[in-house]
Amino acid sequence: MINKRAIQYYFSLQYRMLNRQLSDFGLHPLAGYILSVAAFIGLSVYLFLKTEFAMYIYYLLAIGFTYMLSESGRNGFLKTCFNADEYYKIRIIENALLVLPFVAFLTYKSAFLPAILLLVSAILLVFLSIRSTLNFTIPTPFSNKPFEFIVGFRNTFYAFVLAYFLTIMAVTVGNFNLGIFALLFVLMICMTFYSNPESEFYVWIFSSGTRGFLLHKIKIALLYSTILCLPVVVGLGVFFPENIAAILGFQSLGYLYLVAVILAKYSTFPNKINLPQILVIAFSISFPPLLIGVIPYFYIQSAKKLNEILE
Amino acid sequence: MIQIQNLSKAFGANEVLKNISLTLRSGNVYGIVGENGSGKTTLFRCIAGLEKYQGTIKSDFEKLKNHLGFLQTDPYFFPKITGREYLQLLSIARNSKTTDFDSRNIFELPLNQYAITYSTGMKKKLALTAVLMQENDIFILDEPFNGVDIHSNIIITGIIHKLKALGKIIVISSHIFSTLNDTCDEIHLLKDGVFTKKVLKEEFPQLEQEMKDFVIGNKIEKLKLR
Repeated sequence: MINKRAIQYYFSLQYRMLNRQLSDFGLHPLAGYILSVAAFIGLSVYLFLKTEFAMYIYYLLAIGFTYMLSESGRNGFLKTCFNADEYYKIRIIENALLVLPFVAFLTYKSAFLPAILLLVSAILLVFLSIRSTLNFTIPTPFSNKPFEFIVGFRNTFYAFVLAYFLTIMAVTVGNFNLGIFALLFVLMICMTFYSNPESEFYVWIFSSGTRGFLLHKIKIALLYSTILCLPVVVGLGVFFPENIAAILGFQSLGYLYLVAVILAKYSTFPNKINLPQILVIAFSISFPPLLIGVIPYFYIQSAKKLNEILE
Repeated sequence: MIQIQNLSKAFGANEVLKNISLTLRSGNVYGIVGENGSGKTTLFRCIAGLEKYQGTIKSDFEKLKNHLGFLQTDPYFFPKITGREYLQLLSIARNSKTTDFDSRNIFELPLNQYAITYSTGMKKKLALTAVLMQENDIFILDEPFNGVDIHSNIIITGIIHKLKALGKIIVISSHIFSTLNDTCDEIHLLKDGVFTKKVLKEEFPQLEQEMKDFVIGNKIEKLKLR
């Protein structure tokens, strides 16, 4: 027998959790929902304008989100709370809700078959439980300097596979813009490695002072992001030699944003990056010269925060 | 030597530590005992410089934190980092050139596995190994025996004796009296943020009995077990 009240309470809790996350992020929940919808529509339109492979990327993104809900620890917990019927009902509703915006946009683009396929795939994923902590250790070239790139790479290695695949496609069909998209995609993933603050213990352990600590973090980020970008940069450089200046320009700009994100992270440490920092970065994306002021500003703020722990 | 004088710490209106004073000398092992919430971990975090506080903490070192190994009650591990990478991180952070992790892996931990998959005791042992590899002068071990097996318990006791012999300062908190009895030179009782008693080694048996009488009292009878 299905306990409807329990299911309703579960979803009301999810709603409350989401509202609290938005509030912690510095947004009124209503503003958060409006911004999210606007951002989703904006990014979707942009993606479909930029590349003919948008449908595939879109599908992978949507499935990627539902994949996160299939984590075994989370599902194990749900199975202990609810009986089998309730569990499957909850999971189907969750996955369907998550892909709904994607399905709606695909329908708007008259891509009916991919929309149906996406919905069916999301529902089928309910029956898949994924262990996030495998006994198998994913190899990484970054083991010598833990930890952001080790953890980040192991969490997102499939995204790099996608980025390199897009580079091959860009070269094959002679679409330079797609190649640049792949390059920016790699750099963006690297930036996400710095989106959440680590436990303060992992800052405290460093014997170097604040300046040394920040320089160490920036040095590692630049070195390792270069390694990850190298296949894309080399591929584009070889097949689009006339655009080498543009490739190196985007790469350099990416480095600056990476530095800005690292400093933004520590400017609010040990708290998460919140809305003001995001807005500053967003403004600097729309007008890159702002970085000249943004990077030193974040550096000063970071130094203030880190001095409390490191000095 | 570390001198803690009139140390106070409050979280909002909640005063966790109240004018605590304590002197920690080289080659000594200090036990801090208290109920859950008595302020032990906050005291350790203040010494480590992870909390702001009122009062003073003076030491012989220019930067105390760079000579301090802090084993936390519940060490945090990143989701996808191996035991070896964790040791590497803590070594690099202190500019240690240690790379012979395998030969120093006395707890025989599976270093190539993700640390997050370790059991509670294994995590504790990994964190302790990392702290020992940093070659610190002061060790704060917050419940080092928590969750570890009997063999490791004996090894950890041996490690503490060795650190003492090397002239290090060791501060331990534990809820297992026998481990404190085996390792400590003196025990300080912390209650509601205040040190209520200092007990020297020869008085430990008496303290254990007093604690049993005080803590248990007639509480078990109240359960009305049948």
